[in-house]
Amino acid sequence: MKTFNFTKVSRLLILPIAVALLITANQAIAQTASEPVLLTSCGQSPGPVRLKIFLQKDAIAFDYNLQAKAEDLINKKKEGKPYKSIIIVTGASLKGMGAAGVSMDDELIRTKALIAEAKKQGIKVIGSHIEGMARRSQGATSGDNTDEMSIDAVCAVCDLMIVKKEGDSDGRFTTISKGKNIPLILFEMNTEIEGVLKKVYTK
Amino acid sequence: MDRKDIIRKSLIGVAGLVVMTVAGISFYQHRHYKEEVVISDQVQVKKLADYFPELSGSVNDCNIYMVEGSEPGATIMVLAGSHPEEPAGRLAGWILVEQAKMQKGRLIVVLSTNRSGTTVTRPSGAYPQLYTIPTAWGGQKFRMGDRWTNPLDQWPDPEVYIHYPSRQNLAYMDIRNLNRAWPGRANGTLTERTTFAFMNLIKQEKVDVVIDLHEAELQYPVINTIVTHEKGQDLATMASMTLTDFEGFSIGTEFSPVNLHGLSHREIGDNSDAISLLLEAPEPFLDATRGITGEKQLLEGKDAFVVKAGKHGLLYAPIDENGWPIATRVGRHTSTVLQILQSWNEFHPEKEIVCEGVPKYKELIEKGVGAFLIDPKTVDKGKVIFE
Repeated sequence: MKTFNFTKVSRLLILPIAVALLITANQAIAQTASEPVLLTSCGQSPGPVRLKIFLQKDAIAFDYNLQAKAEDLINKKKEGKPYKSIIIVTGASLKGMGAAGVSMDDELIRTKALIAEAKKQGIKVIGSHIEGMARRSQGATSGDNTDEMSIDAVCAVCDLMIVKKEGDSDGRFTTISKGKNIPLILFEMNTEIEGVLKKVYTK
Repeated sequence: MDRKDIIRKSLIGVAGLVVMTVAGISFYQHRHYKEEVVISDQVQVKKLADYFPELSGSVNDCNIYMVEGSEPGATIMVLAGSHPEEPAGRLAGWILVEQAKMQKGRLIVVLSTNRSGTTVTRPSGAYPQLYTIPTAWGGQKFRMGDRWTNPLDQWPDPEVYIHYPSRQNLAYMDIRNLNRAWPGRANGTLTERTTFAFMNLIKQEKVDVVIDLHEAELQYPVINTIVTHEKGQDLATMASMTLTDFEGFSIGTEFSPVNLHGLSHREIGDNSDAISLLLEAPEPFLDATRGITGEKQLLEGKDAFVVKAGKHGLLYAPIDENGWPIATRVGRHTSTVLQILQSWNEFHPEKEIVCEGVPKYKELIEKGVGAFLIDPKTVDKGKVIFE
């Protein structure tokens, strides 16, 4: 009578299971981040306020600075309290940029330097798009491409993306995620943002 | 001058007099048409001059409707008719005054914030002077207005309008634009004196939030949104997120530019303790590429030319053959006002405001605006106020 050699089968299974567990763990780690957080914008849209409300509610330690610069990361490090992650909300507002007295070019230069310093310090960069298609070029006037410029500046070089699903209707963020191997968290309802942040910051 | 010349010139003169008389009667009737508002026992009516007596007797001494609950709470003020050519705001205000039943806190509603602007339509705009909202009892008429104070009440315009107190140069005709005249001054133009009186009201009544109701052309980038002062960013954002998730329509937020002066969302927030918000709903009637500016377009919001502009990517809000009917636009305003109250309560549980009885977006679309206007003939004369 033929019997199973459980020891042999176990040995054969251990490797794929371990690999699968490792991948899952890596994915889970890739979708988490640590406090304190710097919440900022690329394009001066009102989107960051949506995250701010839930960061406050869930007592996640954060600073809110819509025009954060690389120097802010350096200064924080000098104080001995370096940021562990930054969330950069993409999407441009001409009204917001006008109010802040900056142009899209200024925003792109500031953001590029900010991300470069974050990478240097090993700070996790989270690119986010919160306001849906209304804050994509399709929702802007003909020829206004500033929303997409802010997405290109941040999402293509970040470590994790948090995006409202409706804003990915054309697959823009899914394409970036697959092409650059960047984890992507999609949410449908605005009220889901709280759950997403809790999961990312393991609250 | 021969006999023929005398006859020809006399006929031209008589024709001119006839045109002037007909137009004059028409302008007079429009300016003096009395719109009816039905108030409940919960409503107290004050006058704007109560807060700035120098305004007494002027066309802009408008009614102030105070709907007060039995329990104390927050005071929220709704301004309708800052731009009287944007009727959804005034109609939403009408529904608030006639239907709101306050449990906690106080709702202050103004239906004719720039009353002078309700007495004229845009010169050469071919606007209807009056429009009728259909009701089960036959319909209620309202005055269509203009964006600016009536030139009969404030004239002439200067070459350049220098806003007080910022000294920012604004477009010359905006000296008659109430939403470029905040915070106003006691010895200024009629429009400035009006906003000065409102600032006194906001301070004296300790208003917590001011919500200014507007409509915008679809070619204007600030549309379907809540414009907010810095102090109101969390409140506006929470309201916008909740409405977009649960109310059946999408509404965004925009920050009030710090350096753009004269607007309610900037100056009320800067010059008082109140949070200032401004709501924009879409009104195809105002678009530059619109067709005939008749009552039908005003109420149905349908316009083939504006749809065509959309196909060329010239609009900031969508439009199709169904247009933007008045009930949809009014419903956006009532639902947004109610959600702002709700979101206020989430941030300020110690100072709640609770309002019942006001229809929301879906109910307004289903039943129409007229379903929520009360027939003035069915109530005591003392309960009918004229705008």
